[in-house]
Amino acid sequence: MPVTESLRLPAPRPRPTLIVAGGGKGGVGKTFFVANVATCLARAGHSVIAVDADLEGANLHTCLGVASPRVSLADFVAHREEDLEKLVLETPIRGLRLVAGTQANLGAAQPSHFRRERLIHAVARLPADFVFVDLGAGMHPSLIDYFLAGDEGVVVMSPEPTSVENAYGFLRAAFYRRMRSALRGPEVRRLVAAAMDQRNERGIRTPLDLLREVEALSPEEGVRFVEAIRSFHPRFVVNGVRSAEDVKLGFAVRSVCKKYFGIDADYLGYVNHDDGVRRSIVARRPLVESQPDCDAAIYLARIARKLDAARRPAHAAGPPRPRA
Amino acid sequence: MKPLAEQDHYEVLDVPRDASPEDIERAYRVAQATYADDSLALYSVFDGDDAEALRQRVETAYSVLSSREGRRAYDAWLGGDTVPAAAFAPIAPDAPAPAFERVIAAAEEPPRAEAPPPEPRRLPPLEAFPRSPLEGVDEDEASPEYDGTRLRRTRLRRGIELEQIAAITKINPTYLRFLEEERFDDLPAAVYVRGFVVAYLRCVGIDPAKGAASYMARFEAGRAARKKGRSPATG
Repeated sequence: MPVTESLRLPAPRPRPTLIVAGGGKGGVGKTFFVANVATCLARAGHSVIAVDADLEGANLHTCLGVASPRVSLADFVAHREEDLEKLVLETPIRGLRLVAGTQANLGAAQPSHFRRERLIHAVARLPADFVFVDLGAGMHPSLIDYFLAGDEGVVVMSPEPTSVENAYGFLRAAFYRRMRSALRGPEVRRLVAAAMDQRNERGIRTPLDLLREVEALSPEEGVRFVEAIRSFHPRFVVNGVRSAEDVKLGFAVRSVCKKYFGIDADYLGYVNHDDGVRRSIVARRPLVESQPDCDAAIYLARIARKLDAARRPAHAAGPPRPRA
Repeated sequence: MKPLAEQDHYEVLDVPRDASPEDIERAYRVAQATYADDSLALYSVFDGDDAEALRQRVETAYSVLSSREGRRAYDAWLGGDTVPAAAFAPIAPDAPAPAFERVIAAAEEPPRAEAPPPEPRRLPPLEAFPRSPLEGVDEDEASPEYDGTRLRRTRLRRGIELEQIAAITKINPTYLRFLEEERFDDLPAAVYVRGFVVAYLRCVGIDPAKGAASYMARFEAGRAARKKGRSPATG
């Protein structure tokens, strides 16, 4: 080996593409989405790690057929393990690994603020092409932080008022939190915090009202605000679609996001309602593995291809080799 | 990000200035569905009054942009030409012009007739936002293969129900469903099936010249396979 080569520092490990799935409401298919899209990307030849951050209702491991994980994210949260990489488990699916999220200690399930920061840092440096994070239900600020830390934030919703309401609630929380971190002055940040409360005294009802108020306080902050809006591109998936009407919901939601928040949200795709989904969960195998020809699996594969294509310009050197 | 009252017709429909008439038509359909009274997508975001204002703006924008003369005059006005206000007033006789005026008035703007073109804003317009390279959900365009799943996907994407196709083509909706599910054995003779496929493709906007032969090849192969005692090929 030539000397120059041996002296060269090892190339820094490329960061994985971090895809975070959230959406407010429980039972809309976040875990199902993560398990299947992660499987698709693994089958396409990528190395993929799925992280179950739903500490209070973890079951990603079950969807992937890992019966009782011996280690889990709870070990990291409880300071039993400092190296997240050591918590990565193999799954029956080639190329797909898992950081499980079993509830080891219910009382201490939620990590502290500093622990969260460390977790976000560690997750974004896992050795893989793609890292998925399954957030679980809710819109606690900690979940929103994970969501905003992702290269791709995917909101999963189903075509029902309850889910639509929570999906908007989640987006609203993410929007305001992102705006607040984009602004610098304490006064404008207080304003954003006040606006998060929908019944605030200043009568700020919409993001646009807020922009007006921010601009009035400081034009420079107003420019930052608009920049933050322009660079915010959450994606969303409509799961459990049963009719053409349900498919259209995605386009309508995209339109509302633009009109209300001023953001370009991306309709990543939809997954139709399929009896195979239940069978796959009972069988504890991802649908795309157990019934790759059913409609829902085809839609999931399409979503995976889109996420893969979205990543390529920034990262990869060439197309991955499909598994034989 | 502009308040509704400051958005021009293109921004209201969320189309670029050079949108084709088809783009405008499509955008209008989406907007109509989005801001309909019972629209699920509005739930918990826009209340009744906001939605009503949006609906009226959408109708006005469409009535101007869907007419060739109206759009030309409006574009000229946007471009800063001095064109009499009457030239770009809503064209359709029953267009909700008074409602539109009310929206404008509510935003405390001078009446339309003397309104100067909106001042150039220092904030970037919405059109300048980077667009997702994944716009649209179409990705099969290039493939020459047409199977039942693709028919179904195209139909859903276009927002068409089987019953609507049945109403237009007078084909039994059960047969249409069998086409999508590739239940070849439950379909009648090939000569009829070809007719069904052509009619279906026309309804969902696929050129029958492209799709019919491909689907029929699958159909023949599926039936032939069964005759030989094997199960029909599924892909």
